[in-house]
Amino acid sequence: MRASNEETHTPPYKSGFNPDYKGKRAECDGGGRMPDSKHAGRQDFAGTLTGDYRDFGDYPWRWYLMNQLTLKPDNFPQQAVWCDEGSLEFPDD
Amino acid sequence: MSDPLHTQLCEKLGIEYPVVAFTHCKDVAVAVINSGGFAVLGEAMHTPDHIAEDIKWIRDRVGGKPFGIDLVLPAAAPEEKTVEELMAMIPQQQRDFEQAIKKKYDVPEPKDAPDLHTWGGLDQKRALDQLEVIFDEKVPVFASGLGSPAFILDRAHQLGMQVWGLVGKPRQAKKQIAAGTDVIIAQGYDAAGHTGTIGTFSIVPQVVDAARGTGVPVIAAGGITTGRHLAAALALGADGVWTGSLWLASRESDLNQPLKERLIEAGTEDAVFSNCISGYTMRTTRSPWHDEWASADAPPVLKPPLQMMLSSDYIQGSLDYQRKDLMTEAAGQGIHYITEMKPARQILSDLVEEALDVFDAFADDDE
Ligand SMILES: Cc1cc2nc3c(=O)[nH]c(=O)nc-3n(C[C@H](O)[C@H](O)[C@H](O)COP(=O)(O)O)c2cc1C
Repeated sequence: MRASNEETHTPPYKSGFNPDYKGKRAECDGGGRMPDSKHAGRQDFAGTLTGDYRDFGDYPWRWYLMNQLTLKPDNFPQQAVWCDEGSLEFPDD
Repeated sequence: MSDPLHTQLCEKLGIEYPVVAFTHCKDVAVAVINSGGFAVLGEAMHTPDHIAEDIKWIRDRVGGKPFGIDLVLPAAAPEEKTVEELMAMIPQQQRDFEQAIKKKYDVPEPKDAPDLHTWGGLDQKRALDQLEVIFDEKVPVFASGLGSPAFILDRAHQLGMQVWGLVGKPRQAKKQIAAGTDVIIAQGYDAAGHTGTIGTFSIVPQVVDAARGTGVPVIAAGGITTGRHLAAALALGADGVWTGSLWLASRESDLNQPLKERLIEAGTEDAVFSNCISGYTMRTTRSPWHDEWASADAPPVLKPPLQMMLSSDYIQGSLDYQRKDLMTEAAGQGIHYITEMKPARQILSDLVEEALDVFDAFADDDE
């Protein structure tokens, strides 16, 4: 394998905070893909939203930060994950 | 009896048969479209320029008929990292295991080492760049293969495009229908690639129930490789089928010959659900790489993209040197019925004929 890092990463998002979502329990029908490949996978998460979000593009495409994860894939070492707003479910609503 | 294959989906797209080919191969897509079916070209792995070229290529060959483009929008993302940071995260134990597999099976080094530089960084940014081309080209159908397409619906509809969503859970379907998604693809566990955990026979009727009264057509996906599957999907209430594995060994498919042979030889039990290739759990054909990572002395599978960094040389080496014994590809449980290399047009007509035979047999029983 060969690694190079020709790209510079200027974050193309605007950060924000939604107090209504702080501390809210949520589930994420998540998943992702390997860039430039056809490999992808579904991943389920559950945890608590911090209220922090990132808006990508003009739509905007909003992503919320979920931590205190109570459900995550076995090989997911992190304790927090960013989730697409359209893929969130709120079990308490 | 009216034509049981002429469904709402056929009306919505102006197509003859309610059969959608998901493919990464442009020739397959064009052959299916020109034979009366519909095709969606997977473009997740391509740059915006490449996508634009492919769209033009298809348009030049289908005489105004509609077609679709699929992108795998992400739905969850860990904190982004550079590729150097990611490389440094691969533990020695897993590196040693990769080397041991390569030695044991005499895996050749790839001719050109996979370039990993795009694997760090932001999935969302990449998806947004790809989406711009889809909008610029006003592609008739955009299919989101994973994440919710809710955020682009307004813009797509303003441009006269349809947006389809591929879901693995009934609740995703409910949410996407409420947001205004035009067509839902209910993908069951039998499917190739990034399937969820609910079987096709269980998810399809539940999604049909969720869509009832909304006018949103539902397409069944996962393990569909015969006309009996097509008839069964319609009996479950679906308006059509979305098929991937069915086209992999077709005459037009650009997969290399040994891989097609491997797929023709493979049975249902060879289509395994494992995370050993990319770190994401996917259904792919069994290979020595799968067997070794499933063995008792295997270290834990790493998260994406680290696991893919480990498997990429193995996969590329197997393809570069046409090592059928090492090859793997995404494939669904219906692979059992893929037993010969046929032209796409014939695959479609065989599927349609068999489904019609099923309906005829039921009609005969009624008489
Ligand atoms: C080789 C291969 C690659 C795939 N890549 C994608 C992809 O990039 N995007 C996507 O939405 N689905 C992808 N899929 C899954 C298909 O969309 C579809 O859900 C699946 O093939 C249906 O199951 P079947 O193969 O049993 O027909 C892929 C399938 C195959 C066979």
